[in-house]
Amino acid sequence: MSHTASIQAKARELLETGAVACVIGYEIGPRGRARPVFVESPEGASRLVWNQACTHNLAAYLPARLRPGKKGEPARPVGVVVKACDSRAINVLLAENQFAREQVHVIGVVCPGILEGAGQRSIPDEASPGEGPLQARCLRCAERTPVVSDTLIGEPFAAPPATLEEDPLDRLSGLGAEERLAYWLEQFDRCLRCYACRQACPMCNCPTCLFERDDSTWLGMGIGLSEKRAFHLGRAYHLAGRCVGCNECERACPMNIPISHLNRMLAREIETAFGYRAGLAPVPGPLVTVLDRGEGRP
Amino acid sequence: MKVLTPSALHAWLNALARDRLLIAPKEEAGVLLYRRVGNADEIAFTGKDPQRPVTPIKQAFFPPTERLLLIERLPADEPGGARRIRLSESLPEGEQILFGVRPCDARGVRVLDAAFLEKEPADPYYQRRREGSTLIGLACPEMGPTCFCKSVGGGPDDASDVDLMLFETENGFAVQPVTEKGRALLEGAELTETEGEPPRSALTDPIPVPDRLAWPPHFQDSFWEQMAERCLSCRLCAYICPTCRCFDVRDEALPAEDGRELYERIRCWDSCAGEPYRRIAGGHNPRAGKGQRLRNRFFCKFHYFPEQYGHQACTGCGRCIDLCPVNIDITEVLSHLVVG
Amino acid sequence: MAEQASSNPMLPFLGRLVEVRDLAAEIKLFGVEMQNGGSEAFAGHRPGQFAFVSAFGKGEAPFGIASIPGRPSPGQEGGRVLEFAVNRLGSVTTGLHELGAGDYVGVRGPMGNSFPMQDFVGKNLIVLGGGIGGAPLRPVIHSVLDRRADYGHFSILWAARHPSLLVFTDEYDDWRSAPDTDLHLTVDEPDATWDHNIGLITNLLARVAPSPENAVTITCGPPIMIYFVEKMLAEMGFAPEQCYVTLEARMHCGIGKCGRCNLGGKLVCVDGPVFTMAEVGALLESYL
Repeated sequence: MSHTASIQAKARELLETGAVACVIGYEIGPRGRARPVFVESPEGASRLVWNQACTHNLAAYLPARLRPGKKGEPARPVGVVVKACDSRAINVLLAENQFAREQVHVIGVVCPGILEGAGQRSIPDEASPGEGPLQARCLRCAERTPVVSDTLIGEPFAAPPATLEEDPLDRLSGLGAEERLAYWLEQFDRCLRCYACRQACPMCNCPTCLFERDDSTWLGMGIGLSEKRAFHLGRAYHLAGRCVGCNECERACPMNIPISHLNRMLAREIETAFGYRAGLAPVPGPLVTVLDRGEGRP
Repeated sequence: MKVLTPSALHAWLNALARDRLLIAPKEEAGVLLYRRVGNADEIAFTGKDPQRPVTPIKQAFFPPTERLLLIERLPADEPGGARRIRLSESLPEGEQILFGVRPCDARGVRVLDAAFLEKEPADPYYQRRREGSTLIGLACPEMGPTCFCKSVGGGPDDASDVDLMLFETENGFAVQPVTEKGRALLEGAELTETEGEPPRSALTDPIPVPDRLAWPPHFQDSFWEQMAERCLSCRLCAYICPTCRCFDVRDEALPAEDGRELYERIRCWDSCAGEPYRRIAGGHNPRAGKGQRLRNRFFCKFHYFPEQYGHQACTGCGRCIDLCPVNIDITEVLSHLVVG
Repeated sequence: MAEQASSNPMLPFLGRLVEVRDLAAEIKLFGVEMQNGGSEAFAGHRPGQFAFVSAFGKGEAPFGIASIPGRPSPGQEGGRVLEFAVNRLGSVTTGLHELGAGDYVGVRGPMGNSFPMQDFVGKNLIVLGGGIGGAPLRPVIHSVLDRRADYGHFSILWAARHPSLLVFTDEYDDWRSAPDTDLHLTVDEPDATWDHNIGLITNLLARVAPSPENAVTITCGPPIMIYFVEKMLAEMGFAPEQCYVTLEARMHCGIGKCGRCNLGGKLVCVDGPVFTMAEVGALLESYL
């Protein structure tokens, strides 16, 4: 059975039994683009698909969707279709008590990688995307199999990542501080503070973002270079030890700003210092729990 | 028709760039943007896909952030006395030439003219930039897969909203002056007279666009909430839209200079798609739901704006369709209203 | 002092605070004496209009003008002084609350439309004010009391969540002692000394039960209050054209440019803030 058929069957079952109020998955829209879909009826399950154009990190919808109601009543469980990277986001969110484990039925899909251009106009037919270059994050991916799931679709495999010829991060790390700053200011210059990066990220779920306060306490509201630098660097720090490298921030950015380099740089530092990668288990990361480097290392 | 050969075009643009601020499409990090250029070599003329820059030309009139006022709190006249205030306006000055403006973006300027200038009092910041600008349009030889300018009263070769229009031809660019300002700008340009007329653009199939009055009966449709479920409530669609112009205004402190206490009152882009847009002090938010916000956005473009100013606020450029991270598609909205 | 370039609608007039007094819990009344150019601009301001008041360094926000030109605060010269009631809720209002007499604020306006007082002549008037919503209604009350014979019966229904939140308590005796005028008060939660109605303003409205005959209603308060009051008035037989409301919305320019304050296709800042229910009845639900 194809992944699509398996997901549809599972979603139908979950909705028919009332185990979940809705299944968050992927569909192909009228223009042939893959996009998130919220299926609330068993009949709607036939809209669900899975293929290598399913780039979105659907875990981003979970914190808001599973928030308690106005009178404090807990939200009804949802099903969610996730790839390996998305599943690590679920672990981070669980570790941070964004919702309870039983509130989400994780439909994990073993993923061979998502195609470059998915989710934007670049793949002519996302319904049958065929072959093509994979996204850079997939070429770097260390695990194809979701790390948390209630239903696992696909045969688990842990194919080693294809090696990228050159990781831009190495080139950047080799630059001096001034050159690196000049590089980043040039990138941020294009930024519009549209917040697509922040909104696409499952871990950016503060009810009011520190950088968007009405009283400008931490950061001015202007869309100037100084503010944009503070926003991007600040956000990278806030994601340190939490970012799972799904790269949706960078994919969502309309200005081709290589946001992921910031997050990956910090992730590298944390892996070196603590031997830790975000989201492999639903426990908080060492950045907020380890006081002495010696005791924290596994 | 009069044609500018590639070398004549370069020479003309270089002359313009020498004396004045020239803004034209330029490629940066693989992204096409309207940017200040110092030389015609920097301009990305044709052959890009998509052919329109990611951000529209509205930035030239309505920048993402601008200072409205400078506010200074002066020392009190005597100890314990009241601090006096000195205000100064920061009105923009100067001229700019905008080259390579796609018709959808030029139509966007016309929409913004209505919003900022049509009703008293006119917005002086927008007005000054607008009066100091000359628009040189560039027709699109064909419409892109997400373009629908023709369906909303525009067109890929529509010259109504520019001062001067250029059309791609095999020997360069055909030139059509539209206003006196545009005609004047051509002085010094080496024009070649050739046979024929400027080429018309290839059109795609039109899409049905509902009449303004078709919208109110759909206000309570569950469609809005269903479509909005995948919306991320970012502001991308509004910021890359040629006509969106909502803004926020706030005072912010400036670094102290020689002990002076300075603030600037700035305005910057905002969007009704963002969650805090209508939230008031005290926390009440009449559009707390994504469905309410998205509904407002589309109603504004096709019903509210026309009610205020007489024409739609969508130019069919298709950027929002291309760039929305979750494929919220304005043409699907229009289709829902037509089909019901 | 600043030069006044009168053609820039985003440039405020300066105003000097001549009075700052407590009106209710977290609500202060500011008397602002307009400086060069400002008093001319505001000379003919009408009941219902609003202005943007700046707490320089924080920002500006819209406030209903709570006074009429003919009626300054006691002790001040006529005509140059505007009054605003400010509820401390956010950064601008906190900034204002931190100021005292003698400090300078900015004022832009007058903005918006106004109550058509001339259309109310000869009619019975029912004013319903909830909480700080009473502030933009005070000019209506003063206008009516100052030309009492022009109008019919006058009922004022005044509400707050708690007695400490009632505004203009020092004027109630003046109001109720005017000819053919009643004042009805209500609170949601009483205190130890409260001896008037207890309950929501709709409860009070049901008890007062004014007749729609030759009447006009004017309502201001939180959105949910306006919604339920207007629903009840409709049920009591008031036609939408007889029911006036003054609405608020988050605003950033006040002059119809920033696009934020829309209620359907109307902009509260330029098409309002005064509306009849005939104009906005269908839109109120999206305002809640």
